[in-house]
Amino acid sequence: MNKVTTIKAVIAEDEPILSLTLQRMLVKLWPELDLCSIVENGIEAVQAALREWPDVLFLDIKMPGKTGLEVVQELAEEWPSEQPFPMIVYVTAYDEFAVQAFETCAADYVLKPVSEERLNKTVRRLQEHFQARTKTQNDKQKPDTELDRVIAQLRQLHQIQLPNSPQSDSPATEKLSVIRAAIGNNIRIIPIEDVIYFEATDKYINVVTAEHSSLIRSSLRDLLPQLDNNLFWQIHRSTIVNIKQVQIAHKDDTGKITLKLKHSEDKLSVSRVYAHLFKQM
Amino acid sequence: MRVVQQMRNQWQQLYQALPDCLLKNIVSEIPSLLIINLFCTILVTYVMRNGSSLFENWVFSNAIGSCCYLLIRTSSYFLWRSAPPNMFVFYLLCILLAPIGYIIGSALGALIFSFPINKVLHFQSSFISAFVAMTSLVSVIAAWSFWKKIQIAELISTAEKEKARTASIERQAMQAQLQLLQAQIEPHMLFNTLANLQGLIAIDPERAQHMLAQLIVYLRATLSSSRAENICLKQEFTLIQAYLDLLAIRMGKRLRYTLHLPSELEQEKIPPMLLQPLVENAIKHGLEPKVEGGTISISASKQHDQLVLVVSDTGLGLAFNFQENTVVDTDHPHVGNANIRERLLALFGEQAKFSLQPNNPEGAVATITLPVLA
Repeated sequence: MNKVTTIKAVIAEDEPILSLTLQRMLVKLWPELDLCSIVENGIEAVQAALREWPDVLFLDIKMPGKTGLEVVQELAEEWPSEQPFPMIVYVTAYDEFAVQAFETCAADYVLKPVSEERLNKTVRRLQEHFQARTKTQNDKQKPDTELDRVIAQLRQLHQIQLPNSPQSDSPATEKLSVIRAAIGNNIRIIPIEDVIYFEATDKYINVVTAEHSSLIRSSLRDLLPQLDNNLFWQIHRSTIVNIKQVQIAHKDDTGKITLKLKHSEDKLSVSRVYAHLFKQM
Repeated sequence: MRVVQQMRNQWQQLYQALPDCLLKNIVSEIPSLLIINLFCTILVTYVMRNGSSLFENWVFSNAIGSCCYLLIRTSSYFLWRSAPPNMFVFYLLCILLAPIGYIIGSALGALIFSFPINKVLHFQSSFISAFVAMTSLVSVIAAWSFWKKIQIAELISTAEKEKARTASIERQAMQAQLQLLQAQIEPHMLFNTLANLQGLIAIDPERAQHMLAQLIVYLRATLSSSRAENICLKQEFTLIQAYLDLLAIRMGKRLRYTLHLPSELEQEKIPPMLLQPLVENAIKHGLEPKVEGGTISISASKQHDQLVLVVSDTGLGLAFNFQENTVVDTDHPHVGNANIRERLLALFGEQAKFSLQPNNPEGAVATITLPVLA
């Protein structure tokens, strides 16, 4: 029986020099660490994590495709519940606010350029955590605790609103009052109150009202700051719902929440990260 | 004399409203004209007692008053339009036109009542002393209202000056703030570059040396250009080249760039911090977040005596619901598009243009058109 299972790590960093530097430093400080996958953007980071089920994730915040935070959010939704959620180490450039944000919610982070001393501290902390985990493995400890911790961190980080995150709600953004969707040669004008929900696909967003659905070319990331966030809630990484159109939030036995809508037969699922929005008052 | 008195009346009315559109002003002044004519009627009938009936005097008063008024008003309009009239010339005009108006008016009155004209004129001249007294009274009133008018005009002019001064101070503050921003180099850019440099020293020392050299060029160019009022295109392009070189090291194959500056335009001057922010924005919003990256092209050309600077990229393109005038720049303190537009307007007015359009098939094109600086 294998007593020591290799600790696996995935590194996601878009700048090749910094990625290589981090790899070299980790090899030096933690030679037993298995760097099973090195990726350069957020999309590949999610794929690699779901494929390899690593124990540690080194995530750059600012990456093309998806940001570090978006990667964690997606993983929080997709992660199989039997597997322990990976330890997340955020890698960030000089940014006072980011640093403060991470410290407040007890997320682990490393500043770029990475200093060996600082990385060493993180490595020691991780090693301690895994040693402790191996000991209690027999107790069948709930793997959910790490996931819960990460979800709590995510919520806190979203509230603090990192200045470089795309969801920064600058008060200067004008809120949309209508959506303009192209249908052939026509433009359909949709008053914002008529929208029941927005659902994101690859490059488009589906705007669903009681009468019809239309497509607009945008991402939720660009759309969200332009919506009134008292009316429109993000409930899933690809769904924003008009909360006034929601009739019931149903929680099933596994804890999963589904929304029933007033003027539509569609059912919307709420991801774990946003489940707290539907708690009783 | 009644002539003089009528003249003053018209003069007073003229200064109750600044002459703008002639007809509109005449119509708005008719009530005052009628009132003053009525006033004169009453004076003549009950104070001076010229013996005629109230009605007769009223008709004459209006006839004479209206003639004088119309004559003086239309001629002053043709002489000065909406500009304030020269007081001396205006006086002269009144003195010259009033007798004519008076005679025509009296004749008109006579016609209405079928009186013989010369008898009417003769009749009116016998009341000279009373007329003189009335004239003096009216003159004093007119002079007083004129004086008030001048005061009001002066107050308005002082207020305008204050407004202009405040606007100019605000503009100066904006310039000073801009200069302060210009002297700063974005920390993100700097630390990211240094991080790469540090890593590169261990991996590939020669490339690290080259990168350090480029960083020095970039820093030197940025700091010196922020102090100058104008920089030549050659310097700006050198700065941008160094900047893109540094970024290319960081982004690897995700960034390709081309720069095009014809040799005859190398010495052309442009204001600092105009082109570089556009390049930064193209990278930050267009190329950096795009997974495959892309190409950025910067070019300068001369069209119809104007400098045309174009920054185009094949990145993510403009955001949904993009409006040219309001770009949300979440990364303070750096020069946003609205800022560029403001500066161009302040420096060149209508002669400079800035536009941001989607590129074909993807990405964005930013164009600045400037007059050629001497």
